[in-house]
This record gives sequence, C-alpha cells and structure tokens, in this order.
Amino acid sequence: MFNYRILGIIKRELREKLLSKSFILTTVLFPVFLFVIVGIQAVLQMDEGASKLTIIAEQKALTDSLQAQLLRSDLMKEGKFTFDFFTMNRNELRKYLDENKKAMLDDKLTGVVFVPDTVFNNKIIQYFSKSPNNFTLSRKIEGPINKVLINAYFSSKALSGEELDFARKGVDFSGFKVSKEESIKEEGFGSLILSYVFAFLLYISLLMTGQLMLQSVIEEKASRIVEVILSSVSPNEMMTGKIIGSAITAIIQMSIWLGAIISVASSAVFALPPEIVVSIKPVQVIFLMVNFAVGLVLFLSLFGMVGSIFDNPQDAQSGMWPVMMLIMIPFFVAMAMMQNPNSPIGNITALLPFTSIMVMPVKMTIVEVPIWQLVLSIVVNIIAIFFVFPIAGKIYRVGILRTGKKPKWSEVVKWLKYKY
Amino acid sequence: MYSLEVRNLTKTFEKVVAVDNAAFEVPDGSIFGLIGRNGAGKTTTIRMMMGIYLPDSGEVVLKGVKVGQEFKNRVGYLPEERGLYKKMKVMDTLLYFAELKGKNGRPIQMKAEEYLKRFDLYDRRLSKIEDLSKGNQQKIQFIGTILHEPDFIILDEPFSGLDPVNTNLLKDIILEMKSKGKVIIFSTHLMDFAERMCDHIAMIDHGKIILKGSLNEIKKKHSQRNVSLSYDGDISFLHGHPLVEKMADYGNTTGIRLKEANQTQLLLKMLVERNVIVKKFDANDISLQEIFIEYAGKEEGGSNV
Repeated sequence: MFNYRILGIIKRELREKLLSKSFILTTVLFPVFLFVIVGIQAVLQMDEGASKLTIIAEQKALTDSLQAQLLRSDLMKEGKFTFDFFTMNRNELRKYLDENKKAMLDDKLTGVVFVPDTVFNNKIIQYFSKSPNNFTLSRKIEGPINKVLINAYFSSKALSGEELDFARKGVDFSGFKVSKEESIKEEGFGSLILSYVFAFLLYISLLMTGQLMLQSVIEEKASRIVEVILSSVSPNEMMTGKIIGSAITAIIQMSIWLGAIISVASSAVFALPPEIVVSIKPVQVIFLMVNFAVGLVLFLSLFGMVGSIFDNPQDAQSGMWPVMMLIMIPFFVAMAMMQNPNSPIGNITALLPFTSIMVMPVKMTIVEVPIWQLVLSIVVNIIAIFFVFPIAGKIYRVGILRTGKKPKWSEVVKWLKYKY
Repeated sequence: MYSLEVRNLTKTFEKVVAVDNAAFEVPDGSIFGLIGRNGAGKTTTIRMMMGIYLPDSGEVVLKGVKVGQEFKNRVGYLPEERGLYKKMKVMDTLLYFAELKGKNGRPIQMKAEEYLKRFDLYDRRLSKIEDLSKGNQQKIQFIGTILHEPDFIILDEPFSGLDPVNTNLLKDIILEMKSKGKVIIFSTHLMDFAERMCDHIAMIDHGKIILKGSLNEIKKKHSQRNVSLSYDGDISFLHGHPLVEKMADYGNTTGIRLKEANQTQLLLKMLVERNVIVKKFDANDISLQEIFIEYAGKEEGGSNV
C-alpha cells in the first residue's frame, strides 16, 4: 500500500507543513503560552504573601483566644502573615483606623479585622481594608476566627467536647472519583482541567490541520499542478499521501503540546495548588493519540474531498459547514459532558465516528471508561474510514480535475456514479 | 512495429460523448500529432492514455500489454494547464517530480543540474518557483517533464502560452528526444506546427478520429490535383473556370484544387499566358490546414471539455 510514490508525497507534505511558519508558530507558541500562564500564576502566588493584619476585639478574652488560635493556625506556617492584636471599643477603633489610614493605602497594613461584641448575636465581623473583597484572605482567616467564636459562644453552655467539635466544623464537600482499579481516591479540579485542555487541543488541532489540508488541495487544484502529479501517481495515492502527511504533522504537533502539558503537570518548578494538580495517566495519552490519529484520517478524507470540489477558498468555506459541524458538535458535547459526565448524548457520541475523536478522551478524564469502549470507539472509527475513504476518494478523483463554476451538491452526488 | 496503440477509447461526461471510439497507433521513434480544434476531445484522449481518466471502454496497449503504472513511470507528461508548487524551490521541485517517477539519488540530481545549466537557470536552483518569471517557470516545467528520461513524451497543447524563445526551446527538446529514439506524442490545434514537426498524425473531431496515418502519405493522397501558389497579379479569372474545382486563399499562398490531376501543367501555362508572376508553384502539395478543413469543415464554435 505504501509505495515510493505515496512516500514521496508524504515526504513533501511533511517538509512543506513542518517547516511552515504557521506550524512552527502554533506548535511552539502553545507551550510558551502555557508556561507563561502557569509561571505568572506561580509568581503571583508567591507575591501574595506578606499580609499584615490587625485583629481587634472588644473583649480582652476574645482578643487573647483569637491571638492564640491564629498564631497556631496554618497561616503562620506559611510565614506570609503577621498579626497585631488589640482590644478596643468602637471609638478607639475609629481613632486607630484614622491613624493607620495612610499605612493601609500604602499597603503597609493589609487590613483591620474588628470583632465587635455584637458578633455573638449576628456573627458579623468587620473588615477594613483598601481591598476588602480579597476572598483568598477572608477564606483563610475565616476558619480560625469562626473556631474562636464557637468556643466562646458555647463555653457558657453545657455541651460535650464532641458536640463542640461538630458545631465547629463547616461543611466540606470533597469529591471522590470512583474507579475500578484503585481504591476510591480524592479528586481535585485536576481532571476537569485536563478534560478541558484535551477538548480544546483536539478542537484546535483538528480545525487547523483540516484547514491546511483544504488549502493545500485547493492550491494544487487552482495552480493546476495536480495534473502533473496525476501523470505519475493515482488520485488515491495522492490523497492517501496527503492525508498521512497531514496526520503525521498533526500528531507531531499534538505530541509537543501534550509533552508540554505533562512536563508542566509533573514538574516541581511550577508548584501548582493541590486542588488543581493534573494527573495524566499514560493510558489517557496513548488512547488520545491513537484515537486522534484514526479520527484524523477520517476527518482529513472529508477535508480533502471538500477541497477537491471547489476552485477557490471562498467557495470552499461555504462548502465546509457540514464538516465544521462535525467538529463543533463533539466539542460542545465534550464541554457539556464536563457538567454531566454521564449524559446519554455523551455516552453515545463517545462511540460514534467523527464525534468520538473529542468526546472519548474527554470522557476518559472525567469518568472511568471500560477498555472495551475505548477499543470499540477506535474500531468504529476504522470501519467508518472504510466507508468514507472510497466515497471521498471518488469525489476527490472527479473534483480535482474539474474547474469552472461551483458545482451543486446534487452534481457532486452524481460524481459518485462516474466511472473515473 | 507500433509501440503504442489506442484501441477504441470512449469517454462520456454526463451525456456528452467527449471521445467516441477513438483508435490510432503510434509508431516507434515517431513524433505523433493528435490534431483537432478546441473541444474536439484531444485532452480527454490524452488523459485516458495517461490513466488520469478511466475510459468507459477501450484500452491503451504498449507492445501488446495494457498500460498501467509501469507505463506512467516511462512517460514524461506536460499537461495543457501547467502548474508548479509556488512555494517550492526549483531543485526540490525537479527532484520531487523525478521521485514520483521512481528516480532519485545523486545521478538524477546531477542530471537536473545539467539541465538547469543548459537552460541558464543554474543560479536559480535554490529560488522559490514563485520568484521565477513565467518563462522560466515554463522551462522548469519542461525539465520536470524529461528529467527522468522517459521513453514517451506526451505533451498536451505544448505550444500554447509559450513565448517565442521557449517555443524554440521546446522544439529543440522534442527533436533531441526524437534523435534519442523516444516517442513524442503531442496534441495541438495549430496545424502548421503539426505539419512541420510530426511524421504521424491522427485527426480528431467531435470525439471521433477522422483521419490518421503517416503525414507524408496523407499529404500525398490528398495533394493530387492540388496546387499551392504564390503570385503577383490577378487570378480572378480562375473563379468558376472549368479546370478549377475550388480555390482557397491562405494569405501567403492560394490553394487551388483542379478537377483532374493531370491538369497542373495546363494551369501553369494559363497563369503565364495571363502575365501572372508566379513566385511559387507547388504542384501536388497540400497543407495540413487544407486537409483539416476538408475533413472537419470550417471552424465553428466549440468549447473545451
């Protein structure tokens, strides 16, 4: 099947595509982009430190227990926080705020937390700051303060230690991923991020590779080189060579992208917060690549076919929409799947040709997919190739030598019956 | 021995019969012309010979064997609508064309360099095709056609769109290839080119082969009773003259067809008697153009299929 003519065409496609500016730019830019984003985040997190807070309570007892609690808390271990503790009434507080206004505006003092006596009625504390809506900060100090308040409130009441412990606790919603092999494991946002990244990369790569294939077929047709080539090779060989050449290009690109993601995910340089640590399993990567390769052949046949029908990119864009739908639908299904991993549409499209290329890898990252389904989706795709390729080849064969006015779809269907 | 035989090729597009039962033979070592006006079915016939179109029926046979990929490798083909990859470099383009024919490596590269030097394009070998002038692009196309040393050279309307320099260059290439014993087949609607270059022809009109054979024999057969005349003076007396069957003005020459073959001397005598200055009197001569018009009729509108 792979004679020297097909190899020659593959080689030319690779040389043209791999050395093209657009390929180099998109392939290299993505990892750079990724590293910069993650890097910036890491730098921002480091910078976030050095918060200086003043904690003021109206009761001395409360001040003391807040001090004890906060200094013992995890916050101190991070070493980014410094606290001052005072006991003041509202008038003294107002005076203190006036005195320290400048310090706050100059970021020398991050904020002032005031715990009034009324806290035992309504549990409202006051926070004065230049940027009072700093949620990361409020989330961090909320816990220890709540604990102190609960202790103080219930200490006058006759409650057992266990009852107090329960009351102290907030509701913590932790997600567990149920999978067959391993024991149930706690899951962060990592898999959701991974599924998003997979869907996005597959979508972008498919669109780009398809567009390039389309352009290249149209260029060959418009520049009339195709007839010169066809004097040496058969249309099927030409199409096969072009599809494989494009597919290899896309696979190289995808490998570089995934490589960048894996190195970011597993590297200690970018200390990602634990909730968003991405764990990528080899089986996910392998399946994604194999499934991608098979799906690419299917899609590229269609892109090649559409390209051969039209003379110029403008006409081709209008003829592209059915293929574009085939790329967009699975993308949106994949996106919807992240909300509801077990939707029937998701389960079905994960096995259908054209859609499985995106839906299945995404599904894999969110829920456990049995091996037979993975194999099935690839087999279904391969069977689809056997149906689509001859049709695409036939239309390609007729279309590639046609010039003149834009054919109607009904005419294109007639081409299938031609003996070319 | 006929090296290449076209047997009863038929090709129909939609309901239009583009080529209708076409059959002709191409002898070894000949320059063969497939002639006919635009839309007569030349390109379709050639594309079927190249295996680019599958014929509805009929076959192309090389020394008794139906042609296939093996034949394709031995052919250098220059389509009517020529094209190159604009972004590809000159040398890469040539080597790619040869590679698709199964030729690669150092010898072919040296051969390419040799041709580039001969065509004054050696310093442009690393330029992109799009940076070359149209004339130079045509030269690259010629080199690509013959670089792999084909045994058959098939050219579809090779002289259309060529500048005079390249027209001569291509003629030289064709004659050189002939001297090397290659078979050259070209299609053209330009009768004078065909007449000057071909030794065998097939004439195609409305998809049918209407005349074929050695050009000399065809001309001999048709030239009896024909006189081609160059003159100064008045020959209007010949219109409606009992000796003359018909007359046609071809610009420089006038073609006269007599009713009887043995009347040419009589015609010459009449011209001299009437003080017509005879510059050229070529008895038993006929141009291909005349033969073509005789067979295919006057030019009428036709579209290219």
